[in-house]
Amino acid sequence: MRDRHLKYALLLPAFLIVMVTTFYPLAYSFATSFREWKLARQREPQGFVGFDNYTRAFTDEHFLGSLQTTAIFVVSSVVATVFLSVLLALLLRRTGSLHTFTRIIIILPFAMSPALIGVSYRFMFNPEFGVLAKGIGAVAPALKDIAWLADPSYAMVVLVLTDVWHWTPYMTFMCMGGLAAVPRATEEAALIDGASNMRAFIDIVLPQMRNVILVVAVLKTIFALKMFDQVVTLTGGGPGRSTETLAYFVFNAGFKWFDMGYASALAYFLTAIMMVVSIWYVRLLLQDRKMATA
Amino acid sequence: MKQTKLMWLLEQLTLVLVCIIALFPIVWMFLTAFKNGRDAYDLSLIFTPTLDNFFTVFRAPWNLGSMLMNSVIVAVSTVMISVPAAALAAYSFSRFQLRAKKTMFFAVIATQFIPAVVIVLPFFIMFRNIGLLDTTYALIVVNVAIVTPFVIWMIKGFIDAIPLDSEEAAMMDGASRLRVIRDIVLPMAAPGILTSAIFCFILTWNEFLFALILTRREAVTLPVGLVSFRTERGDLWELMSAAGVMITVPIFIMAMLIQKHFTRGMTAGAVK
Repeated sequence: MRDRHLKYALLLPAFLIVMVTTFYPLAYSFATSFREWKLARQREPQGFVGFDNYTRAFTDEHFLGSLQTTAIFVVSSVVATVFLSVLLALLLRRTGSLHTFTRIIIILPFAMSPALIGVSYRFMFNPEFGVLAKGIGAVAPALKDIAWLADPSYAMVVLVLTDVWHWTPYMTFMCMGGLAAVPRATEEAALIDGASNMRAFIDIVLPQMRNVILVVAVLKTIFALKMFDQVVTLTGGGPGRSTETLAYFVFNAGFKWFDMGYASALAYFLTAIMMVVSIWYVRLLLQDRKMATA
Repeated sequence: MKQTKLMWLLEQLTLVLVCIIALFPIVWMFLTAFKNGRDAYDLSLIFTPTLDNFFTVFRAPWNLGSMLMNSVIVAVSTVMISVPAAALAAYSFSRFQLRAKKTMFFAVIATQFIPAVVIVLPFFIMFRNIGLLDTTYALIVVNVAIVTPFVIWMIKGFIDAIPLDSEEAAMMDGASRLRVIRDIVLPMAAPGILTSAIFCFILTWNEFLFALILTRREAVTLPVGLVSFRTERGDLWELMSAAGVMITVPIFIMAMLIQKHFTRGMTAGAVK
């Protein structure tokens, strides 16, 4: 077989898999988003209702609430993760046996199942016998009587915490990759000239890390928008609806209220947000590559 | 001099703290798994370890054995289907000029950014219509869908790093392209492909959303099984922890096996 045909033949299996398993469902839920379909009562999709499912969302206070919850979650989680991973990457770029050990150890939180992370944090933040709830109370008596997961704001704090704990390792490795590309010579020269560590970092290293930090931030935004497992296993969206993110809201619309049309429309809101962020991400990468080859 | 010594100490202490933060939830879960029901609600570190929980979870009504089996079937099948297909596609993406290559590659990457909830709705309907709800087949199909683009991306990164020389030399000697792939590229890319396969396994093994929606009783996997330890009598933490240990141990062993490639592999996809 000639290369001319072979190169497409090699692509074929993967191409078919992606087509059948991704593009078909996408098209299907797009079509469903314009129809009425209460799965509990109607086995087949009913008539077309135009944009009703979409306009309905804007008058649905729970949808708007979930948008707000998602925004709070995404911003806190991204800011905390980026900040911690830059710090950790700086710390870990030096050599030393403890450094190597830490680099290996931090793989574990990343490899752990997010559903299980939710479960184990729920256990540790139990007000009566949770080791972290008790531990925090012992260190800071002011926080002793907090019922972490029964309070809307604190439940969100714990939810963000699980996500930061899970993703910081991965983002740290990405930052380390970016740091490795920063030449040390300028920084060392500045240090010899008497600049403090802090100054050298802010003036010399940080500007050169700008691109990596952006990539990490955007990528983390995407992962945070997709986050779902811990909402189910940690808070169940509660207390009340305080941790009901958009992904969880779509899930409820589809599989608790069995409103397939509405759920599909909601899912497309989420997809639209993701697409905007993703396009931004891809453009960043292309820019980055241009700079690398220039 | 004194100051640098102090800095050094501070740095070591920070690292120790990082390790403690990373390990604590895991260690606590492992400890709880070996406690009896009463000790699980006690913060004391002194307790008589017991293996009871690990036996209990395998008995009715928990039946963790069948969930474990389902998890293994789904994860292994997903790897067996998606990794070979992805490896071929990755080679093609890496080595050939393709028409609309950028668009195709972008399409592959874009699928990564589609939220799983969007895909699972139509799959739920589809599997209901053909009677595949609550089967491992359904889970394999959706997992392959999610994982394949990611694996293509990862393996491409590894193949890109292989120099062209030996391939070209073999072609000059008259070897066919398929032979070159089989005899030269695959052996050289083997560590990368293995790393990708393990990644794929971990993603599938930990997958929760699809399993939650598409299974009910027969095809439940381990992560979803965790939820069943929430009963009317409250959460049975010691059993949950035992199940957690069983979810975690295989993954941790694999992650440690490929530890050297792991950091490179897991970031290769995202930055390349």
